[in-house]
Amino acid sequence: MSQAPSIVVTERPVPGTPRPYDFPPFERQRLSNGLGLILVDLPGRPLVSASLVLRNGAADEPAEEAGATVLSARALAEGTERHDAIELIEAAERLGASLHAEAGWDAYTVGVDVPAERLEPALGLLAEMVEQPTFPGAEVERIRDERLADLLQAKADPRRRADEAYADTIFTADSPYHRPAGGTQETVEGLDRERLVAAWRRGGDPERMTLVVGGDLAGLDVTAMAGALMGGWTRAREARVAGPITAASGVTERFVRVVHRPGSVQTEMRIGHLGLPRRNPDYHAVSVMGAILGGLFNSRLNMKLREERGFTYGASAGFDLRRAAGPFSARAAVHSEATVPAVLDTLAELERIRDGLVTEAELRAARDYLVGVFPLRFETPGPIVGALGGLFVHDLPDDELARYRPAIEDVSAADVHAVARAHVHPDRAAVVLVGDADGFLADLEAAGIGPVSVDREPVPEAGGGAGHEGAGG
Amino acid sequence: MSLPRVSFTDGRLANGLRVIVAEDHLAPVVAVNIWYDVGSKHEQPGKTGFAHLFEHVMFQGSANVAKAEHIALVQAAGGTMNGTTWFDRTNYFENLPSHQLELALWLEADRMGTLLDALSQENLDNQRAVVKNEKRSSYDNRPYGSWDEHLRATLFPPEHPYHHPTIGSMEDLDAASLEDVSAFFRAYYAPNNAVLSVVGDCDDAQVRAWAERYFGRIPANPAIPPLGDLSLPSVIGAERRETIFDRVPLPRIYVGFRAPMLGDRRLDALEVASQILAGGKGSRLYRRLVREERLAQDVALFTLGLIGGASITAGWATARPGIDIERVETAFHEELERLADEPVSDDELARARALIETDELGALQRVEERADRLSMYATLLDDPDLINRMLERYLDVTAEDIQAVCAAVFRPDNRTVLTYLPAEMGAQAAEDVA
Repeated sequence: MSQAPSIVVTERPVPGTPRPYDFPPFERQRLSNGLGLILVDLPGRPLVSASLVLRNGAADEPAEEAGATVLSARALAEGTERHDAIELIEAAERLGASLHAEAGWDAYTVGVDVPAERLEPALGLLAEMVEQPTFPGAEVERIRDERLADLLQAKADPRRRADEAYADTIFTADSPYHRPAGGTQETVEGLDRERLVAAWRRGGDPERMTLVVGGDLAGLDVTAMAGALMGGWTRAREARVAGPITAASGVTERFVRVVHRPGSVQTEMRIGHLGLPRRNPDYHAVSVMGAILGGLFNSRLNMKLREERGFTYGASAGFDLRRAAGPFSARAAVHSEATVPAVLDTLAELERIRDGLVTEAELRAARDYLVGVFPLRFETPGPIVGALGGLFVHDLPDDELARYRPAIEDVSAADVHAVARAHVHPDRAAVVLVGDADGFLADLEAAGIGPVSVDREPVPEAGGGAGHEGAGG
Repeated sequence: MSLPRVSFTDGRLANGLRVIVAEDHLAPVVAVNIWYDVGSKHEQPGKTGFAHLFEHVMFQGSANVAKAEHIALVQAAGGTMNGTTWFDRTNYFENLPSHQLELALWLEADRMGTLLDALSQENLDNQRAVVKNEKRSSYDNRPYGSWDEHLRATLFPPEHPYHHPTIGSMEDLDAASLEDVSAFFRAYYAPNNAVLSVVGDCDDAQVRAWAERYFGRIPANPAIPPLGDLSLPSVIGAERRETIFDRVPLPRIYVGFRAPMLGDRRLDALEVASQILAGGKGSRLYRRLVREERLAQDVALFTLGLIGGASITAGWATARPGIDIERVETAFHEELERLADEPVSDDELARARALIETDELGALQRVEERADRLSMYATLLDDPDLINRMLERYLDVTAEDIQAVCAAVFRPDNRTVLTYLPAEMGAQAAEDVA
């Protein structure tokens, strides 16, 4: 056998020996007032990340005040009893600190990233913001108006439009997840200073807060800092533990909802149903199944819709895991002419993951990815602090992160099959499409996917009830 | 405070491949990053979007790697990867657990050496369809999505390659042929037109031995096509204005300027000026337009450092409902010009410096970013050690430097202004004229 020597090496290299890796050890403490403290020392990481997490999210607010929690986080930095907003911002900037507060469905976080040697004054500003926020009425009005304008922008953006229509379709009206976390036009218009203050005070209980600090903590007594700055906090009179979050769906059979957007050159597609909460016994098997179905680049959905068909720049599927069951969705933006075949391909993949065992190669690729990428995900303090905050928010055990990799390794093809059958239901999936209905409506109705309804709401103006036409849904 | 120094070695293989290695054993991860000295500025009229389409083809297999297998192997190794195309360059990168480093080197070498062995019409057609959907998703079906195309077209003359968008046009994408792919590969994808950076948990000598083993036999291209003269006047010459009616609910302006090139110290001063103008809630534009006068819903200003004749400084502001976009524009220009007219205070400069320090510290803590910057400074400025000197350069910028560069850049005859208005305002205007 004589061949010209290749200019490259034809044999694939074999991996070296993995360096041992463990999620960084962390220490849990509790101040005398009940405030939790999680410290994680990361030598060689001089940019420290600190995050005060409150178990009080948008899912905990009354429906008629939807948006109050998210907006109160935006307004938290608008001044304290000692400093007005500009003084507070400038003081943080002098430290090179980015001080921020945000709320989502599950929690409220107030955080700062700052070089280690300036951690103490930065934590001082953070504590002041949490202890003495003033929520000036004029700034609250500005922030509310910004959200109202943002809602107009959301209507014009096909991605956001699809996400909102999808949530609105799959969740019952008494589920908070039915609406955007930042509230709707109707609820946001009714928000004022009192409601934002109430949303904030709802979480004002040190026993439901944890401060997570990560980075190179050598020479820093963070426990003493936290004790001095936060140890005197007491429970607000208005603090209360919200009841269980309602996450329910009224969808019992498959149907299609089209949001007509004339002139769209692509259709934003969301297909799925009610999913799972973060705390669920199938978490690791669901992670592997999600990777195979629509998480990896070489997932079944992306390989079909992108690499085989060329319908889209990218297709994915997965579970949005919240304190209560968030949505499961398969999603892609496909060019308009491909709308109906893309929906059919997606539904077929949702069927196929239920129909039989994934291959050994698929299983290995997904497990190896999830296990192998773990040290990359947690290279720097920010994501480590975020993950530890997640333990507190979801009330997960201390060894959750340490046992993640062995638990993923243990997932079998049979486990993947079982969770696909239990948690993926194409027969009762909602198919939500935002695109130019006139281009594909006839084909869609002929495809036999399910009853089709079309919203022909004027675009892009806000307000005005959706004109509904078509059958069922 | 000082940044941890990035110690690296820098050398070339006999075929010209520049190899930069920086050991850092803090975490068991490693970043591999290749910059090819070819970007959308190398494209000819009628072939716009080609450099980027080609980047997609680079994931379609090579002699020893099947279609989509590059990504499959990296992900199964616990890694992440991608490629990106920009005005001046195309880059490819893999971030991996450190014991998988050799895999990434082998994969990059296989496609650098043998991409054409696996090239097929079917794969080209598939990726052409994917890229056209990328264009639809990222530009055509997005509110205000055409701003990048309009901004480039008004900042740069038609004969300059920065004039056209990197994503290209649908017509040119349709016209791309297998012959174009082959010619592009032969012209630009050669070891002597690339920089390989490896950063993280690795051994310098071992990386160099592997680089030799995997890339060493790939032949150099002695005739890489030279780029024409891209030099440009430092200012546009006259203000350019366009009004665009789009499916948007709120009017928005985009404002762009030609700026000094990457590596020029005046660009460092302009970066500090951008921080002062729009770097967060304490910045001048945010404070005045959003917070105090409540004209705008949001503001932004950023600098894109380029080497092909000029850089770009650009920004935007979205009008709040009921506010005339003219008022937004006037206030926007006034804030930029005020920085040219009056020196910034010591306190304002000190705050900007502190924030830049933290940003740099945050960016450089990741091996991925360090590898990308080493490749960037080596490819564009032949000076990878800039990774260790940029922060100092930013901190050295004085109030006078800022004033001088703002006076040179933020002037009406160097400005392009795009005004986006809701489509129904266009319909109304047409009715009024009729």
